[in-house]
Amino acid sequence: MQAPGGWRAWWHAAVPWLVALWVLVPSAVNAVARPTIAVSSAASSAASGAASGSAETNPAVTAAPATLLVIDTTLSIKLLPDSGVPAAAPELTKLPDDWAASRPRFEGTVWYRTGFDRPPGLGSQELLSLYIERACSNVEVSLNGHRVASGGRMREPVTRNCHYPQLITLPAALLQERANLLDLQVQGHALERVGSRQRAGGLSALVIGPQALLAREHAARLFWSVTSVQIISVVLAVLGAVLVVFGWLNRREVYLAYFGWLLLSWALISTRLWWRDMPWDTGVMEFLFCAAFAPVLALLVQFLLSYAGLRSRLIENVLIAQCVLLPATLLLAGPNRLFMLGSSWYALLALEVFAAAGLYMRVTWRRQRQDFWPMAGLISAAAFIVLVEFAIQQEALALPHIQLLQFTVPVLFIGVATRLLQVFGRALQTAEAGRATLEGRVRDATAEIERNFAQLAELRVEQVTEKERKRIAGDLHDDLGAKLLTIVHTSESERISTLAREALEEMRLSVRGLTGRPMRLADALADWRAETVMRLGQANIEADWRGPTEETDQLLPARGFVQTTRILREAVSNIIKHSGASHCKVRCAISERQFGLTVQDNGKGIPLEFDGKLDRGHGMSSMKHRAKQMQGQCLVESAPGYGTVIRLTLPL
Amino acid sequence: MNNILLLEDLPEIRAWLKVLITQVFPDSHIHEAARVHDALGLVSAIKFNLGLIDLGLPDGSGVDVVAALRESQPECQSVVVTIHDDDDHLFPALQAGAFGYLLKEQARELIAEQLKRMSAGEPPLSPSIARRVISHFASQTRQQERPQNMPHVALTDRENEVLLRVAKGFTLPEIGVQLSLSRHTIADYVKQIYRKLNVSSRAEAALEAQRLGLFRR
Repeated sequence: MQAPGGWRAWWHAAVPWLVALWVLVPSAVNAVARPTIAVSSAASSAASGAASGSAETNPAVTAAPATLLVIDTTLSIKLLPDSGVPAAAPELTKLPDDWAASRPRFEGTVWYRTGFDRPPGLGSQELLSLYIERACSNVEVSLNGHRVASGGRMREPVTRNCHYPQLITLPAALLQERANLLDLQVQGHALERVGSRQRAGGLSALVIGPQALLAREHAARLFWSVTSVQIISVVLAVLGAVLVVFGWLNRREVYLAYFGWLLLSWALISTRLWWRDMPWDTGVMEFLFCAAFAPVLALLVQFLLSYAGLRSRLIENVLIAQCVLLPATLLLAGPNRLFMLGSSWYALLALEVFAAAGLYMRVTWRRQRQDFWPMAGLISAAAFIVLVEFAIQQEALALPHIQLLQFTVPVLFIGVATRLLQVFGRALQTAEAGRATLEGRVRDATAEIERNFAQLAELRVEQVTEKERKRIAGDLHDDLGAKLLTIVHTSESERISTLAREALEEMRLSVRGLTGRPMRLADALADWRAETVMRLGQANIEADWRGPTEETDQLLPARGFVQTTRILREAVSNIIKHSGASHCKVRCAISERQFGLTVQDNGKGIPLEFDGKLDRGHGMSSMKHRAKQMQGQCLVESAPGYGTVIRLTLPL
Repeated sequence: MNNILLLEDLPEIRAWLKVLITQVFPDSHIHEAARVHDALGLVSAIKFNLGLIDLGLPDGSGVDVVAALRESQPECQSVVVTIHDDDDHLFPALQAGAFGYLLKEQARELIAEQLKRMSAGEPPLSPSIARRVISHFASQTRQQERPQNMPHVALTDRENEVLLRVAKGFTLPEIGVQLSLSRHTIADYVKQIYRKLNVSSRAEAALEAQRLGLFRR
């Protein structure tokens, strides 16, 4: 999990660098590295009269077929604003013409005039086009005195074509073989009055060549400077909306909302690059876009801080104040200082963002190092790009072919947004898994509770039954027992007192059968042995009791114990009362499913006349009856003079 | 001879027991009580040599009287006289300090005989009681968290031997023969067992009370 995540994060970090390198290297070595157009510079003809100077300096002229004509020298004349009167004499101008350098602070219309011959080596049927890489802010083209193309409005609000390359088809009907006259009317703004050098007035070199070739170049250029920005804006807007919704749903993850709003607002201010016909004057629009950077970068700062888990009322207030201060200073300074002041503000805002980024990095370094290096890569890439952009704006570097900041920073943003969504998705997954686990636990706990409840209910029933039995037993003892006891000790008749004593014993056994718990068979045997040996001993009869030697853990129900006790007691009583024996042998055997007791005496046996029919006082039939009740049997073997054997077998 | 406490709620049985006691101990002075409350009053006022105590009484259990006698007059012998022969009823009384027990419905001669034996220092011991005593001491040794001030009462090997044999159903005379001990020596072991049961039970009760916070300051 760790390794691929880290790798992916590295990839996020690496992308902007690749983009930056790809953009910068070609722009640094412009002509050489762009092989799509084999540039051939031809001397422009009649009007300028400045002949093939550049051809000698450019090695491409000889190498490439002369299909393209690059015009880099023109005559230019600037008109006074509003009046349309020339402000100065026409002058020779090298293209590209950057107004900030050639005519500082000028704002208005410049006419360029040049002438050209139909490039040799092209068939007469070949459709020719004029390709203008950059004409800022707008251009209208005339060929041999006929207007052939217009970029849009030439009056305020002037159409903003600064980022749009122009491809103008030169109508064959107007085109002459030689000495064609080309007039370009460029409407532009002074650098001081716009927010970015890219939108200051100027005209690039003019290229005339076959339509097919130039159309390709135009399409590529259009894609990279306009369409790519539009695509990225759409992506940003979608991602931003998603993040805003996530942030809305998860109030604790406020950084999601910040980043979402950042993406949305960035997409909004990106409109200045591709929206050509704006409703208000250029000055107003430039002011608005410049002012918009304060809240946008405030959102970025807030995102970084909240992502690091920091929050400061002070910083929030400063950011809000800045959003007011920035437009206020711009208004105070007036439109002529917009570029200077705007650049300073941009620098300040960038510093703030990087300060926040530094703070974020410090927190990340302490808390979660696996996030540190990817973020460090992203932020340093961003810092590099911002530095390059500043160099461009301050004319330390040439204008690149694509919108460096407008292209790479959104890519960085998309990287960060993807990462955020990934983290969010993983958190969601974790939460889902956690919920599933919790659900499982709740289910288990519920089952456990239900089981316990069932057990408890069972236990309760048992307890109630037990309690009721105890109550009955208590009543028997207290009432019946006390009365029987009174009879035992107050009756004049020995017979009645014996009967009462026996009744009492019976009652007690019954109670025990009613309330008693199952007991270990070994314990029962011990009780029987103790009682039997004691009673026989008191009657001076020798007792010989042998039981199983090994310990068993078998249980005997209370009823079984009580019934067996009665049978054994009866047998011993018979021996004591009737047998006249001097010796009594008791054997017990325990097997898996039953146990047996054998009581044998050496007395005179049961007289024939008692056996079976009368059973006077011997209780033989009741012994047999009790044994039968317990699914066991009680056999009595006796012969006069041979003693008596009682075999009792009971199931366990 | 001496002062005897007779606690019994049924008048007929009390009268009958009184006659019996007079036969066994002719020159004794018998103090009768029908309730736990009255008996406790007598215990605090008179010094007894013997107490015959019924368990199930209208205002409580005779066990309380046994405990009070044991507490205030250790040299007095308490004998439980009851209609219950099961160890569930007898064992608490023995734990409280009773020295023996008599079953009420037994014949007069038998009771007289047992009473004489007990006053001579020969208490009875049934297998079920012996098993209860064994499991009591077994649970005592299992309890590890015994405070320092609690006396650890343990049975000697010989006492254990006697107990185990009783629990298996051998009678005391039989055990005497098996271990080559005199009747008196066996009786002494049984007395020691009862005494230790009482001491150990009291310690346990105190411990339990402490655990429940009754002694908390």
